[in-house]
Amino acid sequence: MIKLTVNGTEHSLDVEADTPLLWVVRDYLDLKGSKFGCGAGLCGACTMHLNGNPIRTCITPISSVAGQSITTIEGLGYKDSMSSVQQAWVEHNVPQCGYCQSGQIMSATALLATNAKPSDEDIDSAMSGNICRCGTYPRIKAAIHSVANSNATSNTELFTNIMEAK
Amino acid sequence: MTSLTANTSTAETQVKNSSRRTFLKATAMGSSGLMMTIALPGCATLKNGGMTQVGDTEQWDSNAWLRIDSDNSIHFVLDRVEMGQGTYTGMTTLLAEELEVDPAKVDVSFAGVDSVYRNTIYGLQITGGSTSVASSWQIIREAGAATRIMLIKAAANTWGIKESDCVAENGAVINNAAGDKNKGKQITFGQLAAIAATYSVPSDIPLKNKADFKVIGKYNKRLDALKKSTGTADYGIDTDLPGMKYAVFTRAPRWDSQIRDFDASKIENMPGIEHVFAVNKPSAVGIAIVAKSYWQARKAQKLLTVEWAESELTQVNDASIFAQYKKDLADDSGKNVRSEGDIESALENAAQTITAEFEMPFLAHATLEPQNCTAWAKEDGLEIWAPTQSADMAQVAAAKASRYSLSNIKINTTFIGGGFGRRINQDFVAEAAAIADHIQQPIKLIWSREEDTQRDWYRPSSYHKLSASVDNDGQITGWNHQMAGSGVFDYFVGDAAPAQYPFMPKFMFGMLESAGKLGEGIIAPADGSIFEGAEAIPYDFANINVDYKKSDSGILVGNWRSVGYSHNGFIVETFIEKLAQLPQVKAKKDSYQFRYDLLNKHPRAQAVLEKAAKEANWGSPLPGCTQGISIHKSFGTWVAEIADVEIDRSANAANQIKVKRVVCVVDCGQVVNPDTVVAQMEGGIIFALTAALYGEITIKDGIPQQTNFHDYQLLRMNEAPQIDVHIIESDEKPTGVGEPGVPPLASAVANAITAKTGQFFNKLPLKLDA
Repeated sequence: MIKLTVNGTEHSLDVEADTPLLWVVRDYLDLKGSKFGCGAGLCGACTMHLNGNPIRTCITPISSVAGQSITTIEGLGYKDSMSSVQQAWVEHNVPQCGYCQSGQIMSATALLATNAKPSDEDIDSAMSGNICRCGTYPRIKAAIHSVANSNATSNTELFTNIMEAK
Repeated sequence: MTSLTANTSTAETQVKNSSRRTFLKATAMGSSGLMMTIALPGCATLKNGGMTQVGDTEQWDSNAWLRIDSDNSIHFVLDRVEMGQGTYTGMTTLLAEELEVDPAKVDVSFAGVDSVYRNTIYGLQITGGSTSVASSWQIIREAGAATRIMLIKAAANTWGIKESDCVAENGAVINNAAGDKNKGKQITFGQLAAIAATYSVPSDIPLKNKADFKVIGKYNKRLDALKKSTGTADYGIDTDLPGMKYAVFTRAPRWDSQIRDFDASKIENMPGIEHVFAVNKPSAVGIAIVAKSYWQARKAQKLLTVEWAESELTQVNDASIFAQYKKDLADDSGKNVRSEGDIESALENAAQTITAEFEMPFLAHATLEPQNCTAWAKEDGLEIWAPTQSADMAQVAAAKASRYSLSNIKINTTFIGGGFGRRINQDFVAEAAAIADHIQQPIKLIWSREEDTQRDWYRPSSYHKLSASVDNDGQITGWNHQMAGSGVFDYFVGDAAPAQYPFMPKFMFGMLESAGKLGEGIIAPADGSIFEGAEAIPYDFANINVDYKKSDSGILVGNWRSVGYSHNGFIVETFIEKLAQLPQVKAKKDSYQFRYDLLNKHPRAQAVLEKAAKEANWGSPLPGCTQGISIHKSFGTWVAEIADVEIDRSANAANQIKVKRVVCVVDCGQVVNPDTVVAQMEGGIIFALTAALYGEITIKDGIPQQTNFHDYQLLRMNEAPQIDVHIIESDEKPTGVGEPGVPPLASAVANAITAKTGQFFNKLPLKLDA
């Protein structure tokens, strides 16, 4: 049995040790917001937080994260409790097909947790591992800037969970 | 208020709209609500297998478009798929405008298969060709307006006032009758629905004038943004069924190979593996592995060995393909698709003749959601959940690959993680249907990225030969464009033709495919996948000739965002630039003015070009940049783009072209959702820039060589330019938006580089001379 904490809930899982975290979360825990894109860590659609840091879960064997704390898109917020990053995504109409956006939001959230006012270059560097085939990059950038420019205290609140996890 | 609960369960009324030969039909739903359906006379209406109905409590006709329940919930069935292009919002906005509701209050679900949902432009239930708004602009608004008129009548009768004294607003009818005791009161649509359902659908359905629009042209929200920002939108790959197994499918490296033998001895006893078997069906040839989990199936696949039979493609390489195109075109110029004046004499009498040859590569779609399909086979029917752009073609593909007939196959569509034309071909549905049928269980088939890249239906490669005649004054007197390449029509007609005749038994499918192929250009639209955009060259030359020679490479090809325009936008606008750079032309006017003057028969094009030049400060590039200009019409829409490009020789060879800014001006007629138009232009530009800088599938010994995002690169955040989009205000009918942003981009970038270095580009992706 492998133990794992996902979005604050502890799970014991009977799963082969080399199974990527992505498939465990999607198919054993039924959290389908994180997506499969490439299986090689090249596109970022599968991004989750491991102890607050963004990782590519399609190439992360479950055994390597045993006993640790994972946050998925479902752990950030939902409907009336959306995080400020998610709210910015909605306000900027960021998603087109939307398939990459869970991963984009996880990467952006991790960036803003450590860099409250990222420059364009900071955003490029933190986000260039996440591919968007629909080309929503200009809106992603605008949404990240808008979060950075909004109320600083609410940002602190937003990232409390992440920092606690660290 | 007793009339509000009158039993109306048997009432059905119809009205014919003679202009479109369609029927709107209102049906009462027990005592609770109203359902508006649209039926086509003279067509068999398919009823679905009946395993799952849309909606939870009430029986709902499979061809319903709109349902209003007594709790005032409004349900709209979207008959075009949502793959990012914005139909979910745009089509709902059309309905909401005439119905008088807030678009955000409408509950949207995806349509199953029914002839009423067919795209009126194609005769198929297809989402493609940037046609959704254009083809539904009238009919959805009429459905909304007819329903509103009936709801108003119900309210007027309830209050005993005139219909003209009622106002529909925000999901309710308001009493506006001067002096009436109920003045100012309102009744919700939900309360009125059951009464309204007893009325005849009005024969005259006036639509609002543009000046009265409340949401069309103004609504700027995106209705699916919340779901897609919280991980709660369900894509095909997210489908989950009780007892569902996971399947992977091993296909031949060359698509035309059959199975000779396979050895599963190493995997049969691996944990979780339940079935390994060969599948040999139309569009589904390979070895299926079914396991308890996806990872178990994928791991086992590495240990499977398959011996494939001979392929016709083992000698096929890019070089041989282009040699074939050139030879075929030299032997026979093929079909003439445009002829004006006398090109031969223009070229003979020219003071100067300018020529160029172009070679365009195969391109993969690389949808971020890999191909996948979930299928559940039972004794009485097959149910499919698929991210498909054509539900009725999916049904045909499933029928051909299984024991089931069309009437026993139910197709459910889902949110789609990128389409771009890939999901018009239904091989992933055929495979899932065959696998589920074989084991009579629910399975989910997921392709790997490598499989998705190597077994795509690529944008066809093509060869183009252009020549222009120039007289002594530097006037262009003639334009000759000849080209060769595979047509995409042949590669999807097998599923498309039977889908148009759903009443035909399965044994007729082969005949329908043959008839479909023969009917191309006669009963089916001509396959423009190589020549579209070339034949419609808008420039005012006295002599124009465009020829297309079909030359089949044998490589699988399909529709790729903007299809033929994707390469012809580049070729035409790059060759035009070559002419603009002739010294005798350049002495008189710049690249902008040269185009502008030659577009004298297209005022909308001139307006688009003029605005682009103004917004981009044409002639004053960004620091360190040069500018390139391009304009192209596709799917009825004019788009001009001006790129500011910097060459950075210090970067890696692959990263020396830096596109800093793209200014885009679009005229797509009336706009439904302005922000969707902007988003589609932004997305089209980045999609096209990916192709311009990186896009190339190469073929070696019949095998596509690229596998994943390291060798089939997609543009990333750090490479994305600033994009400024401007929409031309228009009263014209709406035209396409999803694709027209793509065609002008590559030439705008190429022309900017030409302005800097003089290098002329006749191939994509763009590669700088050393």
